[in-house]
Amino acid sequence: MTRTVLETAPRSAAPPPARPARSPLDRGMSWLIRGQRQASSHLLLLPTSVWLFLFLLVPLALLLAVSFARRGPYGSIAWDLTLDNYSRAFSPEYLPILVRSLTFASLTTLACLLLGYPFAYYLALVVRSPKVRTAYLVALMLPFWTSSLVQIYCWMIILGREGLLNNALTSLGALTEPMALLNTPGSVLFGLTYFYLPFMVLPLYSSLSKLPRSYIEAAKDLGAGNIETFVKITFPLSLPGVVGGAILTFIPCVGDFLTAEFLGGPRTYLVGNLIQNQFTQAGDYPFGAALSAVLITLLVGGLAFWRWFEAKTVTRLGRARG
Amino acid sequence: MTVTRALKSYTFLLFSFLYLPLSVMAVFSFNDAVRNVVWKGFTLRWYVELARDRAILDALWMSVKVGLASSLAACVLGFLSSYVLVCHQKVKGKGAYDTAFSVPLMIPEVVFGVALLTFFARIQLPLSFTSLVLAHVVFILPYVVGSVKARLQSLHSASLEEAAMDLGASEWQAFLRITLPLAWPAILSGGLLAFTISFEDFVISFFVSGPRSTTLPIKIYSMMKSGVTPEINALSTLFLLLTAVILYAQHRLGEDEAATRH
Repeated sequence: MTRTVLETAPRSAAPPPARPARSPLDRGMSWLIRGQRQASSHLLLLPTSVWLFLFLLVPLALLLAVSFARRGPYGSIAWDLTLDNYSRAFSPEYLPILVRSLTFASLTTLACLLLGYPFAYYLALVVRSPKVRTAYLVALMLPFWTSSLVQIYCWMIILGREGLLNNALTSLGALTEPMALLNTPGSVLFGLTYFYLPFMVLPLYSSLSKLPRSYIEAAKDLGAGNIETFVKITFPLSLPGVVGGAILTFIPCVGDFLTAEFLGGPRTYLVGNLIQNQFTQAGDYPFGAALSAVLITLLVGGLAFWRWFEAKTVTRLGRARG
Repeated sequence: MTVTRALKSYTFLLFSFLYLPLSVMAVFSFNDAVRNVVWKGFTLRWYVELARDRAILDALWMSVKVGLASSLAACVLGFLSSYVLVCHQKVKGKGAYDTAFSVPLMIPEVVFGVALLTFFARIQLPLSFTSLVLAHVVFILPYVVGSVKARLQSLHSASLEEAAMDLGASEWQAFLRITLPLAWPAILSGGLLAFTISFEDFVISFFVSGPRSTTLPIKIYSMMKSGVTPEINALSTLFLLLTAVILYAQHRLGEDEAATRH
């Protein structure tokens, strides 16, 4: 039997010794699975690469190309190359919208961080039972998994002029007239924070849960108070989670248009709404494409800058810690 | 007040805040009044009207079809690519794939949606079920890959396929009898996650769906634009319930998987 051969032969990277005859299907599939040849790997990867190439890469590249075109009659695309769309994007008419979107996204990210950090801390470092922790996480995720539309709708019925809150306060006599709670920058920020909170909490939790509790105990043993421990130990070590959460919150938030559309008004017109409008009513694909390109450049640029900054400061912190 | 007690109260407050709007919406879906704001009595009539609304049922069916088709495709593609990326040595271009999988997460949905719209217009593909599925697979794929890759990594490090081959199996047999059954819960879990994301997607579907391929979130959107009615409450409550059920199923799969982890 082959067993003796296996026992005495030296272990090497060579294929296993002779085995019984296999069907052609078996031999073919085994070759694919073994992955010794690049061909087998790339063959298996082919469907995915084709799909991603056709429906991810090409559309984005096309969008970039279209951003240099001009709007033709009836909303078609006229291919006389120009930079007009970009200069228009930075014009006094449209630049404030971009700035406003960045501001809203930054404020939302900050609000999510402030609101979410205590919860992540509680979940990662205070709660002892894994079952309770899972329950909390699932409970956090459930509103997250419902469509943002549903959430926005809920806030509309609560905050509207004839909504729940106004009605309750009026009937209690606290108000004589309903408050205009919707259609303000505040309501948009509120809705954005509500929706993006889980995006921030999860990476924070992930980072904090990897923090050894012994560090905190050691700090306490050495005489540090709660605040000192947090400022000097916990928070710096949770920075990767903070940054990860901030990125995961900021990027989708800056392109959000639903919240502003339903909870906001003309004063809260964001770049997401602007882009959406170019591809629906305005029919100006090239301008919309240019706006999208500017947005992506800002985001990618920001990310790249952060990576560089992180490499400089975090490694310095790491070295200082020893 | 101790820190623990303060944090616990804070957590309780946060959750009340998180669940308040959803509870209000659910409660008022049973309200016997056309305007949402005052409680006038319990009724199921909005749910009944929902069941009779042809347009809503069509949208629901479209969402289910698109979700099933795209999560199925994403499971197949995701599993194939995860297997290669985890179990094959020295694949040229591994980094490119990891980047490609994270691109949908690094760009705002609206940009991806309009890029696809431009592309489909250019190749003159009519916006329909097909365009929806082609689009959805791209952004749900990373979730399947995430789920399956983690499982495959733990299986691979346990060298189970190698052990089977030492005992005389071919790679194909080892794969069929060991890897696939053990990876199956992770594939299913990733698939459920992918389905949920596809089902509740609005932004990308908005741009790549046609007039006769309206999905449920798009239908809710148009209902919201025309005004607030309790029918939307009922629809949203059911949506919430469906999401809860899928999440629970996915959670149970995760538990089973953890139990069989090596």
